[in-house]
Amino acid sequence: MSEQSKKYLIQMKNVDKYFGEFQALKNINLEVERKERIVICGPSGSGKSTLIRCLNRLEKHNKGQVFIDGNELTDQIKDINAVRREVGMVFQSFNLFPHMTVVKNLMVAQQLVRKISKADAKQRAMHFLERVKIPEQANKYPIQLSGGQQQRVAIARALCMKPKIMLFDEPTSALDPEMINEVLEVMVDLATDGMTMICVTHEMGFARSVADRIIFMDLGEIVEESKPSEFFGNPKNERTKNFLEQILTH
Amino acid sequence: MAALNGWWDDYFWGALVIFQVFFCSLGFMIIFGLLGAIAKLSANKLAHKVANAYTVAFRGTPEILVILLMYFGSAIFLTAVAQLFNPEVKFVDIPPFWAGTIAISLIVGSYATETFRGAFLGVNPGSIEAAKALGMSDIQTFVYIRIPEMWRIALPPFGNHMLSLIKDTALISIIGLNETMFVAKQAITVTGKPFTMYIVVGAIYLGFSTVVTLSVMGLEKFGERTTAGVK
Ligand SMILES: Nc1ncnc2c1ncn2[C@@H]1O[C@H](COP(=O)(O)OP(=O)(O)OP(=O)(O)O)[C@@H](O)[C@H]1O
Ligand SMILES: [Mg+2]
Repeated sequence: MSEQSKKYLIQMKNVDKYFGEFQALKNINLEVERKERIVICGPSGSGKSTLIRCLNRLEKHNKGQVFIDGNELTDQIKDINAVRREVGMVFQSFNLFPHMTVVKNLMVAQQLVRKISKADAKQRAMHFLERVKIPEQANKYPIQLSGGQQQRVAIARALCMKPKIMLFDEPTSALDPEMINEVLEVMVDLATDGMTMICVTHEMGFARSVADRIIFMDLGEIVEESKPSEFFGNPKNERTKNFLEQILTH
Repeated sequence: MAALNGWWDDYFWGALVIFQVFFCSLGFMIIFGLLGAIAKLSANKLAHKVANAYTVAFRGTPEILVILLMYFGSAIFLTAVAQLFNPEVKFVDIPPFWAGTIAISLIVGSYATETFRGAFLGVNPGSIEAAKALGMSDIQTFVYIRIPEMWRIALPPFGNHMLSLIKDTALISIIGLNETMFVAKQAITVTGKPFTMYIVVGAIYLGFSTVVTLSVMGLEKFGERTTAGVK
């Protein structure tokens, strides 16, 4: 555990990832400090999901090193679940457990992974449901909620684990337009609260107002990495310019 | 109907045997089905092959033959072993109850293997990833996510497997299990009234099947509460 890898909450060094012959990530280097908020964008298939999935080892990288809070993710890692519980993840398709009520969705991992008592888990679940503004839905099943509500439950479920890092993989792109804002509001609220976040999103308004840094990916590489003012005002790379033109004229 | 006088208690005990066979074989059938499905889904080539051989063999042979082979096969084996120690021994068998129960569990378990396999594949992979991302172990994910999600998918065909178990119990009478079918055969030799005696057997089996069917319907309703809600 080097001093340097401890300084950053997340560190990726020369990371490559292959799916068979196909190289999905090419020499990725990324450092994220505590309380930093990163937005990743880029065209479809550019490797955005693959990158953040390497951070909780839903995908295994093939080359290079990944550190989470100083712990290197390798095949030899003794307890990957100890790392995973510190890294919250929110998926595009919500992925709530369909057979559990909302409050049970929030309690199950607290009880099993964090070994918290049922009563405390429930209390914490209700606390975070208040925070995402849907405490009244606690006893419904996921299917009974709107997409926006389901995604807010998914965010609350991740927060119940008290993670050090939150990863978002296009959390609003499966939502009807009128529900996008209610989810973004929750994310802005989290960012204001000092959560370390990496968000894959094409919500450029969110990126502009919340991100400390924006990362643009294409063909498995990080093409450009800059502050929002620079990213939108004065993009350096041709590919970034093209992408921004397309996405902003939409 | 007068012919039935004196046979009611035999039918009652026979019905109790059906009940016992059903519960024991249900447990074994679920175990064989789950093991078979897990083996078929595993990356282990040997496990995969064994499970394939199992389903091919047991789905492709007449059920009554499996029961006979199980009973006489185990008897030959046990007799041979016993004769090693005591040459005087003529015949040793496992009780027809257990030979029959295991045989029908293996048969229906081979169908359940396919049902469970399909149901495991039907579980939303997103749920599994979410559980992993929350730090749940593979075993926790299996018990708390995979199983509860898969049984809802498996339930309708599983109900049919339970009915098969009940009906197959009648076949075990061939190796001397004293269930209702066996009772009827004895009663017929005494009274010479086959239709009356067999109709009672039919009524008893139908009673059991109806209870099972209603239970499955109830369970399906219970499972549906998570999917049928109003928005
Ligand atoms: N499990 C997999 N097996 C094979 N190829 C994969 C797998 N997952 C991703 N890929 C490929 O890797 C590349 C990067 O995929 P990834 O999902 O990371 O892209 P993305 O930037 O998130 O795209 P999108 O905006 O569509 O979500 C794609 O070309 C994809 O086809
Ligand atoms: Mg993606």
